[in-house]
Parts: sequence; structure tokens; C-alpha cells
Amino acid sequence: MAAKNILKKNLLIGIFDDGDKLYDAVVNLRERGVEVFDCYTPYPVHNLDRAMGVKRSRLVFGAFVCGLVGFLCGITLQLYTMTDTFGTFKSWPMIIGGKPIDWRVIPSFVPVTFELTILFTAFGMGILFFARSRMVHGIEEDLIDIRQTDDRLVLAIEPDKLSMTKEELETIVKNQGALDFYERNLNNTDENK
Amino acid sequence: MGHHYITQLPNERYKFSKRGRLVTGFLMIVGLLIAGFGALRLQDSWQADNHSSELHENPHTDNYNSENHIASTHAENVDHHSSTHVENHSEGHHSTGWLSRVWAAFLVNAYYFFLFAVGGLFFVAVNYVANAGWATLIKRVAESMSSYIPIGFVLLMAAVYFGGEHLYEWLYYNNHKADLPADHLLDDKKWFLNRNWLYIAPIIFVTIWYALRTVIRRLSLKEDHEGGLMFFNKSIRFSAAFIVIFAFTFSVFSWLIMMSIDPHWFSTIFSVYNFAIMFVSSVTVITFITIFLKGQGYMNLVDEEILDDLVKFMFGFSIFWAYIWLAQFLLIWYANLPEESIYYYERWVAKYYPFFVANILMNFFLPFLVLIARYAKRNKYITLFGGILILVGHWLDIYLMVMPGVVGEKAGIGPLEIGFGIFFLGLFCYVLRHSLSKADMYPKNHPFVLESANHEVGP
Repeated sequence: MAAKNILKKNLLIGIFDDGDKLYDAVVNLRERGVEVFDCYTPYPVHNLDRAMGVKRSRLVFGAFVCGLVGFLCGITLQLYTMTDTFGTFKSWPMIIGGKPIDWRVIPSFVPVTFELTILFTAFGMGILFFARSRMVHGIEEDLIDIRQTDDRLVLAIEPDKLSMTKEELETIVKNQGALDFYERNLNNTDENK
Repeated sequence: MGHHYITQLPNERYKFSKRGRLVTGFLMIVGLLIAGFGALRLQDSWQADNHSSELHENPHTDNYNSENHIASTHAENVDHHSSTHVENHSEGHHSTGWLSRVWAAFLVNAYYFFLFAVGGLFFVAVNYVANAGWATLIKRVAESMSSYIPIGFVLLMAAVYFGGEHLYEWLYYNNHKADLPADHLLDDKKWFLNRNWLYIAPIIFVTIWYALRTVIRRLSLKEDHEGGLMFFNKSIRFSAAFIVIFAFTFSVFSWLIMMSIDPHWFSTIFSVYNFAIMFVSSVTVITFITIFLKGQGYMNLVDEEILDDLVKFMFGFSIFWAYIWLAQFLLIWYANLPEESIYYYERWVAKYYPFFVANILMNFFLPFLVLIARYAKRNKYITLFGGILILVGHWLDIYLMVMPGVVGEKAGIGPLEIGFGIFFLGLFCYVLRHSLSKADMYPKNHPFVLESANHEVGP
């Protein structure tokens, strides 16, 4: 799931050992009006994002912008070096196959423009994805529970937006098959560490 | 799981209603009538044309599109080298009478609808080989499309047998060698471009395809009755065999039927180009049939999740088509060798230039823009709009392959071409619906059928 900044958050945390149980817990909780903050799973759980009500990612817009930049770079590069569009051609003329030196040569620009569009999109998306998932070099480690890196699935809920008491929530989550349920309270940290 | 997980499939079977039979039969008859009307009118106008052209003869170069900068800069060059070909084509290379256009119109439609049938079979086979589960619910649609192979092939070969001399310049040349000036290229190619290859090879190829199709279909029907993984595993093996054989034989098939219309010209990517046309248009047809069946109240399990993936195929393979189109065009355009660029030169004359541009717009740019968004893939009407663009576009695509080589400047799109199109549409729909009504709508014992029923693309 999309990474959220959890360093300064108090969270209620349930630990599961099975994707289906976590999925059912999320569906059950949302039916009772409890919004799930996030889920952390070591493997993808099908449809969990839909059950959590995760909104569609806006990364596609980033992809469009990256692609557009790549397209413009490619077309400008070639117009600059291969044609006389910017009045630069005469300094180093490159006439290949007797083709004209104005816009009519555009079919031969298609491969390079295409490749640069793809290249910029791919690199741009890679960088954007890492930035958006907060996997940037030098960032503070923000694991909620160390077990999420092994074989446990973590359900996180914000305590201040609850429509029920924490005890009620605990019984629901435990009934859904949670192995463990605790509160991570950053105000007195040593309790849970 | 908590959400609605489908574990039971309803028993559904398509009923080919009396009204459906009437509609398809009506289409066939109306199509033939329109085509006949077109042929008669063509005969008259052709004779009138010949009279007038005898009076004041136009040099053929006047007809070339003067707006075509790139072509015109090299026009003299091309003309000089291959003037014989240009004259051949623009003045009707061989026995170009009005019948040539009739056979050409017939061939365009026969080949086009035959590609759907082969594409349906290929779709089934490729899903077996790839172990793909998402399309299992609509497998019967693709299977039924391939039941058109025999009748479609008979009609296609009818054009080749009876219209062969009108369609294929080299065949005419081989048959009337004594009366014609020598053409060393055609003489050189005679080991392949001869009657034996043209008449016999396609029959062997299509017999093999249809034999494999029969085996796959029979295994699928047996699976419905008996169940078990055995049929599935066997189908994978036969599908793999089909794909390997198909890759080679379809290439030769497309060279013989399509590429040899311009016998002096050749392109090494031509068969891939034909494959791209086949796949993108048959996936579009599968989508259309699925939407049609849903509109009739069948296939309620097929939701927008499966349609979404089908439209992704349409979208993706229209880009693949553009890629192959460009690969063929760009090399020829760049190298500018007379014997190669003659192909595009013929298609840049005033008569064909609008079609040439429309071909690229309708098969790539417009579907790209129309189908790219997620909501477009999930909206029936936008999908239909994009699909119609693709289908009409690829009809034009095949039209552009056939017409310049057969009838040259005297082509057009009139009642003849459209009439045959309507006839073949009616025939294809009849065969398809007949075959659909012969088996259950869902292959209920297919190991992936539940995966397909519960298929989700994600948010």
C-alpha cells in the first residue's frame, strides 16, 4: 500500500497470520464504520485495496508528465540536430538518404522520439514510485511491527478517529482471528518497545 | 472469503431464435443484391469510361498527388527505374475489366472475415498455452468464431480459383506468357509464385488448422460432460502444436493470398503485419459478440472486469499493429529503393491517399485516444465506438492491400464492396450463432472457469 508517514502517529495494531482473515477483518470493520489507517502485508492480498477503500493512485498523471517531457526532449533534440527548424542546421549538416531538412523528415524521428518517451517515463516512474513510497536514501526506518517483514500481516487503525471504544475494537479484531492486538503510544514509548 | 465468491455456474445455452436466423439470412440476401446492383452499375460505367479514355488519353503521372512532397521529390527517380510497373498498374496491369473489381471486392471481404475465424482459434490456443484463466468464460465465443473457418475458406478459395487471373498479375503472366513481354522478376519467382503453390498450399494449411481446431473443440465439449484435468492438459499440447504450425503456415498463406497481388514487391514483415490485423480485429469481434450476448441477457457472469481486459487487448494490439505498420513503412520510406517504394507510391496517389491517412488514424491514433482511459474500457458505448473504428479501419487496411494492385486507379468504395461486406457479415453471424447454440455458454468443467468468474482487475 502507499506508504504513509507513521513516525509520529499513535496507532492501534492488530497482527494476523493469514491474508483472508485480514481481508475479512477490514471488511467487517468498515461495515461498522471504522476507517482502516493502513495494512502492511509481506505479500499482496487480492482486493484488499478495494476493501480498504484506497483511492486510485495519481501516479498515472506523473507518468503522463514524464512521457510528455521525454517526447518533447526527443522531438526537440532531433529538430535541433537534424533539421533547420531552429536555424542550427548549417553548422553541421547531416543529410541522410537524401531526405529533406524540414518537418517533412518527421517519420524518421518516430523511433528515437518513442524511445525517449519510454525512457523518461520509465525512469520518472521509478523515481516517483520510490519517492511516494518513502523509500528514499537516508530516511528513518518506520516499521510498525518487526513481524511484518517476516510472515505476519499488520492492520493499523488510528485511535483518535474511532467510533467505538478500544476494548470493543479489540474484541472485534481478535474475533476475526488476530494473533495480537496492542496500542502503539508514542507519548510513553518505552511501554511498547 | 467475505465477498461474494462465485462457486456455482449457471447452465446457459444460446438459443438461435427464428428471428436471428431471419435477420442473418436477410443480411446475406440484401448484401448479395447490393453487390449485384453494384456489379451491374460498374459494368456500365466501366464501358462508358473506356470510351472516354480512348478519346483523350491522360498520361498517368497527372494523377499523382502533388501535395505529396516526399513522393514527388523522388517521383522522377522512381518513374525512371520502374516505369514498366507504374504503367502496368495505372493502366490496368493485365485483364483489368470490371470483373477485376468484383473479385477484388469479394477477396477483401472474404479474407477479412476469414481472419476473424482464424483469430478466434488463435485466441483460444494462446490462452491455453499461456495458462491464462481470465478469458475462460468467453472461451466459447472465440471457439464459435473458428467454426467459420471451413465456409469462409471455401469462399476465399473460390475467389482465388475463379478470379485468380483477375487478382494475381503473376498468374495471368504465367498463363499467357506467349502474348506478353518477358518479366524476368516473375520468371525468377516462378518456383514459388505458381499455380501449384497458390491452389494447393492454402488447402493443406487450413486443413491442418481446422483439424487441430476440431480436436481442441472436441476436447472442450468432452470436458463439459466428463470433467477432469486430462482434457485441459491435452488441449495445451494441441494448442502449442497449433501455434507453432500456424506461425509458419500463416506467413506463407499471407504471402500467397495477399502479398503476391503485388508480385514485384515484397516485404519481410508482411506476414507479421497480417497477423497484427488478424489479432486486433478478432479480439475486437470477441468483445463485440460478448457485449451483444450480454445485451441479449446471456453471459451475466461476464462483467466489466473481463471486458476491461479484452479492451486492453484491443488497445494494446492496435499499438502493436502501428508498430509493425511503421516498421514496414519506415524502412521502405527511408531506403527509398524504387522496387520497394513502388508499393507506397501506388498508395499515395490521389485516389488512395485519403484511405492511406484514414488507415493510420482509424487503426492507431483514434483508438489510442479513445480507449486509453480506464473508464473508456469499462464503458460499453466508448468501447463500441473504439471497436468500430478498429474494425472499419482494418477493413480499409485490407482494402488498401488488395485494390491498388488489382484495379489501380479505377477503384472506389461503392455498393459492390459494401454489399459483399454485408453478405459476409450475415454469413459470419449465422455460422457463429449456429455454433454458439451447439454448446453450453460456459465451459463449466474447465479448471480456470471459477478464476475467470471471480476475475478482478483491481481499483
